[in-house]
Amino acid sequence: MRETFALVGFFEILMVLFMQWEIYTKKIITTFSISSYIIALFLFYLGIVQNSPYVIALSLISAFVRGFFIPWYMKRRIVRDHWREREIKPVISTAMSIVISLLIVVFAYVLYRITFYNSIHLVEGSIPMALLLQGAFLIISRRNAFIQLIGYMTMENALFLFEGYLFPGLPFIVEAGIVLDLIGIIAIAGVVVRMMKNSSVEMNESDELRG
Amino acid sequence: MNYIYTLPMFFTLAASLLCLVKKTYFEEVVSIIAAFSTVAVAFIMVFLPSYTSHYLYIDGLSKIMLIMVSMIYASTVMFSTTYMKYIDNPSFEKHFYYFLMNLFAFSMLFTVSVNDLGLIWVGVEATTVTSALLVATENTETSIEATWRYIIIVSVGLIISLLANIFIYSVTGTLNIQQMMQGVQTNKILVLGAMMAVIGYGTKGGIFPMHTWLPDVHGKAPAPVSAAFSGILLAVALYAVARIMQIVNVGTVKEFAFWLGLFTVAVAATLMIVQKNYKRLFAYSTMENMGMMLMGLSLGKYAFIGAVILTLSHAFAKSSVFYLSGNILARYKSKKIENVKGVSQRMPFTGYTLFFSALAVTGTPPFGTFIGELLIIYGILKYFPLFYALLVISFLLVAFISINYKVGSMVFSKPTDTVVTERKRVGTIVPIVNTLLAFLVIFFVPQINQLLSVGMIK
Amino acid sequence: MLVFLSVVQLLYVLLLSPLVFGILSKIEERIESKKGPSIFQPYYDLYKLFRKEIIVPNHSSPIFHRAPYVSFAMYSLLTLVLPIITAFPLQFGPTVDFIGGGLIFGAAALVKKLAALDSRSNYSHLGLSRAASMGALAEPITVLIFIMLGVISGTNNPYVINNVLQSSSKWYLSLTHWFVAGAFFMVLVVELGRLPIERHSTAELGMIDQGMSMEYSGMDLAFEKWGGYVKKFLLMSVFLNVYTMPFFVPMKLDLSSVFVYSGVHFLKLLGLVIGIALFEESISKFRLFKNFDYLAFAFSLAFLSFLAFYTTVGRV
Repeated sequence: MRETFALVGFFEILMVLFMQWEIYTKKIITTFSISSYIIALFLFYLGIVQNSPYVIALSLISAFVRGFFIPWYMKRRIVRDHWREREIKPVISTAMSIVISLLIVVFAYVLYRITFYNSIHLVEGSIPMALLLQGAFLIISRRNAFIQLIGYMTMENALFLFEGYLFPGLPFIVEAGIVLDLIGIIAIAGVVVRMMKNSSVEMNESDELRG
Repeated sequence: MNYIYTLPMFFTLAASLLCLVKKTYFEEVVSIIAAFSTVAVAFIMVFLPSYTSHYLYIDGLSKIMLIMVSMIYASTVMFSTTYMKYIDNPSFEKHFYYFLMNLFAFSMLFTVSVNDLGLIWVGVEATTVTSALLVATENTETSIEATWRYIIIVSVGLIISLLANIFIYSVTGTLNIQQMMQGVQTNKILVLGAMMAVIGYGTKGGIFPMHTWLPDVHGKAPAPVSAAFSGILLAVALYAVARIMQIVNVGTVKEFAFWLGLFTVAVAATLMIVQKNYKRLFAYSTMENMGMMLMGLSLGKYAFIGAVILTLSHAFAKSSVFYLSGNILARYKSKKIENVKGVSQRMPFTGYTLFFSALAVTGTPPFGTFIGELLIIYGILKYFPLFYALLVISFLLVAFISINYKVGSMVFSKPTDTVVTERKRVGTIVPIVNTLLAFLVIFFVPQINQLLSVGMIK
Repeated sequence: MLVFLSVVQLLYVLLLSPLVFGILSKIEERIESKKGPSIFQPYYDLYKLFRKEIIVPNHSSPIFHRAPYVSFAMYSLLTLVLPIITAFPLQFGPTVDFIGGGLIFGAAALVKKLAALDSRSNYSHLGLSRAASMGALAEPITVLIFIMLGVISGTNNPYVINNVLQSSSKWYLSLTHWFVAGAFFMVLVVELGRLPIERHSTAELGMIDQGMSMEYSGMDLAFEKWGGYVKKFLLMSVFLNVYTMPFFVPMKLDLSSVFVYSGVHFLKLLGLVIGIALFEESISKFRLFKNFDYLAFAFSLAFLSFLAFYTTVGRV
């Protein structure tokens, strides 16, 4: 179990690093979809091992919403407007953001060791922590709305990994999963789509939003 | 009689569903009826004992929150009926706006009456889902971007608070508030979880490290939505923090919350000086008041009562300020303070009400906010050296001067033309009523005290 | 006996290395549905170059003329100390460990770079500056990889590392090992000058390593090229024998198994070559400045192996 968790966790970390490396939005979406499926698979396995229908439900939601629906919807949007396929100017240069993302993993490990480890006693707990922070960094380091949303959903994945492995049996986790996914759906359905109609997915600093 | 505690939620949910029926003015009528029946039920509840069941946990604090949420919700719906006309290019139809508004109110009422930290989290997250699109009612690029920032930053904050819930659950083995109120054993994880919850819910409440979405949203959302946001949404987020601090009664957490509150006040007061956009100015004022409330919650006892009084009167005063800023925006077509001149002569009622409500939000004596801030500062004096109290007072003074100076320059300057362009209609009366209510709060301080200590008014 | 095997290994590498690259280019041409050159084309090229006249730029110093021979000698020395067809140290094996081997590699590259600098040709300088800046970033990754292998095996000896990975499935299947292998593969692609980094065409603007030998001719060029083949052959062998496929390499002194394995090793190389060809045909070249993103990713792979060690195996 520990080995599987570490394997899945490091694979996810690698995926996020890969997303930092890519500039083509489509590839990032595909990468995210794959990583969601893997999380879902792991949760399914976990649910069977722990004999918990909630975790299995969570895995099915993960697979459907974050593995299939949202990536599919985003991709359909991108195919329609070819010029939005790649991000032209990232906020932080790609090489730099890969290295920072890596340092964040190290930071999460150190942070976990000096705080939570004293009470949890599982070294692997640092992996979801790292993923959470990496997702946050993905949001900060990009301006593209799609990629920011993917950063948010990466954090969500990390959270479920954390919950499912370290603290099984949280009572409201399925509801939480549903609401979190709803946010993602609202975001793409409401905001992004209209943003598409207007001009750009790139999030720019406008004068009215300063100070 | 137990079903009465679910009535507010039932009314709002039913109203939101009825709003989907496409019929002229139907949605407005339905929403107003639902809002006022919610207010009525909330007031009836005050005279009933506290109630706890598997799902509901309604004590004095919840009752005060219910009254506050329902009243601001009612005034917002009333104000929306006039204000929606001024939006040139709305993103969606009117009935959908009311649908979301009612759902928004539902999610807040849900949050303050459930008996489970997890469900509180779900409720706070649901307010994001329902309110996100409301911010983007005006179909412009900047408002959509403000919405986007709101969604992303607030969701990240809520992920942190979900993590906090997971930690708390891992220690206590339950998230039921009633059970946890009986005492939990504290350890490091619980304290860490509580601190993360303060940060996470604080994101939604406009507390310092992750407050950046707040001025953007308040600057770009339509006036009634801004009013609902700063009046009740942020207070509901702080309600979650208050519950956490009631449960995890640990010095570290309280001190942490106190410092966050102090930083929030400091940042907001400093940034207020340089604001050129009046809606953003008021947004920073909200942030400053939230910082005060968080400090009050963290200090406990009298300061806690002070925080509740401040929350209540601030909700009325600040919603009034935002309604009035909506009126001014509709007339002057500009959000810049320098472009708005002579409001007192062109729109007398709006002008004077704005002046008084600006005094109210900065904590001037006749208003409830003054008593609230006084009690909080008394609490600071009790637990901290004099220096901190002076620091807070000086920040409050900075905020007071910058808001009232800027509002004064809008209200009492020479107008470009002196034509009176104001009609007596709902949009002028609602803010007046709310400002009056912000004043009337001071007469109900004993009742608030009684509610917080006993749970009902006998 | 060990001396004899050393000689066999040297001849094996020197003679077979051009063939591997002949096969590689043949496969790639076939994938592009072209007929392609014969797989013996590198040999024909070398034969032709040996008979040609040597021309040296007017302003160059003696370094220019001698560099190909020195670097060729260094690569030949490396051939004697790395596990290619045996997993037990040969006669010269104890002279250097992995770090030492890395240093010799670095020294050979340095000699080549000095010679390129000496040629006073603009194209050479262009290739040189690119190769130097890439190398400066690739070097820390290589060092990190060696450190991680040291952590796994407790030594820096490539033979021991091979034996550990061959006999212990716990290490072979560990995340640490696979992150190291992935990082080394990425560095390998840089060192081989293969596609996402460098294209082997006549377009000078994208040249990195090719540019450096622009001014050579005749026998100098032949040795420069041959040395290049040997270097790449060695790196691929190390990648296979130490990192990814440490199996079948004979750990005990036994002539017949060594001879059988030299055939097997060639098959392994063929597999790797086919893999590289498929990989190369499916991607396009990075723009030059994107190469640094590539290196940053390789670095993070190497570093993750470190973290994986602490979170899974080490548990300190």
